[in-house]
Amino acid sequence: MIIKFRLDGRDVSVEVEPNELLLNVLRDKLGVKAPKYSCGIGECGACTVLLDGEPVLSCLTLAVDANGREVTTASGIKGEEAEMLMKAFAEEGAVQCGFCTPGMFVMSYALLHEKKRPTEEEIREYLRGNLCRCTGYVNIVRGIEKVVEMGGKK
Amino acid sequence: MGSTNYKFIGRDIPRRDAEIKTKGLLEFSSDIYVPGMLYGRIVYSPYPFADIEEIDTRDAESMGATVITPKDVPRKLFNIRLVSVEEVTFKDWNVLTMSPRYLGDPVAAVAAPSEYLAQKAAEAIKFKFKKIYRPVLDAFEAMSLDAPAIRERILKGEQEVTVSKNVGAELNFSEGDIDRAEKESDVVLERSFKTNRRYHFQLETKASLCVPEVDGRLSVYTTTQTIHNTRILIGQVFGIPLSRISVKRIPIGGSFGSSIQTNLVTLISVALCLKSGKPVKIVLTREEDMYDHADYEMHLKLRIGAKRTGELTFGEMHNIMDIGAHQVQAYPLLGTALGWFVSLYKWKNILYEGKAVYTTKTPSCAFRGYGAPQVSWAVESLMDELAEELKMDPLVLKLKNYVGLGDVFWGQGPTVRSIIRSDGVKELVERGKQLIGWDKRQPPSAKKGRFRNGIGFGRSFHTSGAGGPISGEVIDYSGATLKLNEDGSLDYITALQDHGGGTLEAHAKIIAEELGVPPHLINIVPADTSITVYDVNTHASRGTYVGGEAARRAAQMVKSKVFEAATRMLPKAVNPEAFKIRYDEALEQAVVYIEGMKDMKVTLAEIAKASWQRNWGTIAATVSYRATSAPPTFTVFFVEVEVDTYTGTVKPKRVVAGADLGTPINPKLAEGQLHGGFVMGWSMAYLEDTPYQRETGELMNRGMAVDYKIPTFEDAPSIEDFKVIFANTYEPTGPFGAKGLGEAALNPVAGAVANAIYNAIGVRFYTLPITPEKILESLSGGE
Repeated sequence: MIIKFRLDGRDVSVEVEPNELLLNVLRDKLGVKAPKYSCGIGECGACTVLLDGEPVLSCLTLAVDANGREVTTASGIKGEEAEMLMKAFAEEGAVQCGFCTPGMFVMSYALLHEKKRPTEEEIREYLRGNLCRCTGYVNIVRGIEKVVEMGGKK
Repeated sequence: MGSTNYKFIGRDIPRRDAEIKTKGLLEFSSDIYVPGMLYGRIVYSPYPFADIEEIDTRDAESMGATVITPKDVPRKLFNIRLVSVEEVTFKDWNVLTMSPRYLGDPVAAVAAPSEYLAQKAAEAIKFKFKKIYRPVLDAFEAMSLDAPAIRERILKGEQEVTVSKNVGAELNFSEGDIDRAEKESDVVLERSFKTNRRYHFQLETKASLCVPEVDGRLSVYTTTQTIHNTRILIGQVFGIPLSRISVKRIPIGGSFGSSIQTNLVTLISVALCLKSGKPVKIVLTREEDMYDHADYEMHLKLRIGAKRTGELTFGEMHNIMDIGAHQVQAYPLLGTALGWFVSLYKWKNILYEGKAVYTTKTPSCAFRGYGAPQVSWAVESLMDELAEELKMDPLVLKLKNYVGLGDVFWGQGPTVRSIIRSDGVKELVERGKQLIGWDKRQPPSAKKGRFRNGIGFGRSFHTSGAGGPISGEVIDYSGATLKLNEDGSLDYITALQDHGGGTLEAHAKIIAEELGVPPHLINIVPADTSITVYDVNTHASRGTYVGGEAARRAAQMVKSKVFEAATRMLPKAVNPEAFKIRYDEALEQAVVYIEGMKDMKVTLAEIAKASWQRNWGTIAATVSYRATSAPPTFTVFFVEVEVDTYTGTVKPKRVVAGADLGTPINPKLAEGQLHGGFVMGWSMAYLEDTPYQRETGELMNRGMAVDYKIPTFEDAPSIEDFKVIFANTYEPTGPFGAKGLGEAALNPVAGAVANAIYNAIGVRFYTLPITPEKILESLSGGE
C-alpha cells in the first residue's frame, strides 16, 4: 500500500508492506539515515523520531502508522532551540562516536518542549531509554542543562 | 608544564563533527547505500558444536539468491587479527565452516535484492549433520580428559600445531625465587577470582558493504579499527593484490576493541560480492552481534606475599582464560595479562602460568583495557585485603609498592619494555584523597542500618600503544601525510581510525600547534588504504600518543620546507633555521618570521601561494613512525557507593577520577573518557555478563538487548558528584607531552567499586559481576 506523510518538512509518498517498520522505510526507502538501527526491540532509543511532535521508537512503529502524519528526524529538527542544543552538545563534549546522538538529540529536543526548566533528575528520567556506551551520560546532561540555563537568561 | 603557552593544545575547541553527528548526517557503514546493491544475510548452525555433512542450498538458490557455502571460500586457516607478528599468530578461522564451534559460527551466506528476500533465502538453507556434540561451556571442563576436542589442529604462523585438552595457547614466566621469597614473607594471601564475560554493546552493530568497481577493484566500507589490516587480510584470504583493494575509513559507532580484528561480516560480504559480481551489504542484527564477540573470561588465582613493613616479597598469578571457540588475540593476551600484573606493583619475585582454553562459546576478543580491568580488579581487591592484614592504609601500601617513575615497564607483555618517564600517581592520590574525604572513611564494622555507604580506591594504568625500542612480537607503527595547500590551509591524511573519542581532532590540534595554523584550516581527509601509509590499528590507547606524534613529525617536516621557501621569499635571510612560525592573533593565520626583525615576516598563506605561482612545487611530507616506548597513563578512582542491604542494590554516589595523561590535548574530551570509563567499569563490576544455557549452548538472553542491561542515565552519578582531575605531568616521548587515555580511564574502576562495596558491608566478592542477588546472599550468611 502507498502511504503519504510529511518527513522533515517535505511531503513523501512511499509504497510499504503492512508489516514494515517505520525505521526501515525511513532508511531503506526514503534515504533518511538519522534514525539508527541498534537493538531493534525498543531498548536503546537510537531510532527515536518525532511523530506529530511526540517521540516514538521507529523500530517499534509500523510505517503505516505514519500515514497522514508528520515525522521529524534529527536531520529535520530546526529552530533556535535546536541550534542551541546542537551547539551545547558540541561545546560540552556530549558527542563521542555519534551513533546514539541523533536519538539523544530528538529526545532532548522533545524534553525541552515538554518542560522549559527540567532539573538534572528530570533530564535523567526523561532520557533513561536512550543508551550511550561512550560518554557515561555526564556531558549529555551538561549539554541539555546549558540550554536550560541559557533559556532562563533570555 | 608549559601548557599555558600553547595556542591550541589544552584548549577546548568544539569538535568539527559534532553537528553533523547530532543531525544524523554523518554516515556509518550501515548508512551507505549504492545502486544495485544486494542485501546479505549470514546463515548459522542451529548447534554450537557440530560437524556438517551437507548443506542444501537449492531452495535458496531457486528464490534467486546468491549463496555461498564453505566450498566457495578458501580453506586455509587464518587469524582475523593481524597485529601480532606472523610467527606467533595462531590461526583457526575460516570465512565459512563445516565444523561450527559456537552458535555464531557462519556456515553459509546469501545475498538478494531485498533484505526480506535475503532473510527468506537464509531460512531456506538446510543442513545434514555428521555429528552433533554437547556444548562445552566451561574452561575447566574443556581441559578435562573426557572433553571432546573442540579443535585438533591449528596453525601457529605457518606451522601446524596439535591442540591438546582444548588448550589453544600457553605462556609461562618466572623471575626470581618464589620459594625463598615465600619463606621470607610475614603474610601470604591466596585468592581465586573469576571475571565476567561481557559483551561490548557498541551501539552500532557490525556492518560491511563490498562494492566491485568497474575496473575490477574492490571498495570496502566496513566497521573496523584498522583499514590497513582489513585490506591485508582480504588480500591474503582471497588472493587479491592489495593494490586492487581499497578499504575506506568509515566512522565507527563505538567499538571498544570489538573491531581490532577484521570482522567475519567483512570477509563474508567480500565473498558474496566476488560470487555475485554486485555490491553486497550486510548489517548484523543485535542478536547476531551479541553472538559475534565478547570479552575474555579470566579465572585468576593470585598468591602474594609481604613483610610486616608492607614491602612486597612475591606475586604469583595463574590465569585460565576461557577464550570461546576461536583465537583472536588469546596468545598475546596471555603475555599482556602478565604485563598488567607485573607493572602494577613491584612483586620482585614473579611466577606466572597462563592458559587460553577453547570452549564452544562466542569468541573472546579485546574489550577496552585488554585484560587490565580484570587483572586490576583482582590485584586491587587483594592489595586491599593485604593492607587490612598488615593494618595499613591501602593508599600507603599501594604508593609504597607501585611501579612508577624510572622503573622498567612492560605493560604490553614481556617483549614490549621501556622506562617510565612521567608519573603523576602520588599527586593524584593526594588530591583525590582530599576530594573524597578519605581520612574520614570508617571501617565496615562502623556501618549500621539499611543503607550503608562505603568508599573504595582503585588504581591502574594503560600503555600508550605497544611500541618499544626493539621490534617484539607486536606490530606497532603509524603514518601521516600532510600537505600545504595553495592558500595556506592543510590536508591531513591518515589511516588512523577515530572511535569517537576525538583522536583525529587531537591530531589536528597537534598539527595546528606545530605550524600555527588554526585547526579549522586543517582538513582531516576522508581516507582509504590506497592513499594512506600503514597504521596498525586504533587500539592499545595509541591514537593520540603514536598517531599524534606521526602527525607532529609530518608537521615538523612541512615546517622545515616552509622555512626553505621563506628564505627564497625573503632573500636577506641566510639560513632557514633562523625562521620561526607562530599563529598570529591579529592576522588569524600562521606567520613565518625572524625574531626581532620587523621586515622579516611573511604569512604561511603567502609562502603557499608563492610556491604555487613560482613553480617551486607542493610542500608536503609523509611520515611512518614507530614509538620507542609505550608509556603508562596512570589512573586512580575513588568511589563512594551506597548499598541497600534490604534489596542488595548498589548506587554510585560520588566519584573522583584522576588521570595522569601527560598534557591533555582536549581537556573536555579527556574528561568524557573518564566519565565513560567509569560508567563502563561500574557496569563491569555490578551488571554485565553473558551466561549460557547449559543444554543448548545458547546465550541465556538469546542476544536480546532487553536482557543485557547496561547503565542508563539514571544509573550514573550526578554531575555535581563526579569530579575529574588531571595530574600535572609531561611525557617527554609524547606529542607535546601527551599520553593515551581511552583504556586507562576504565581499568581501575571495578577494583575501586569492589573495594567500596567491601567498605560498606564488609564482604569481599571474588566473582564478577557483584549483583544484588550475591550481595543479599552474602548478607544472609552466604558467600
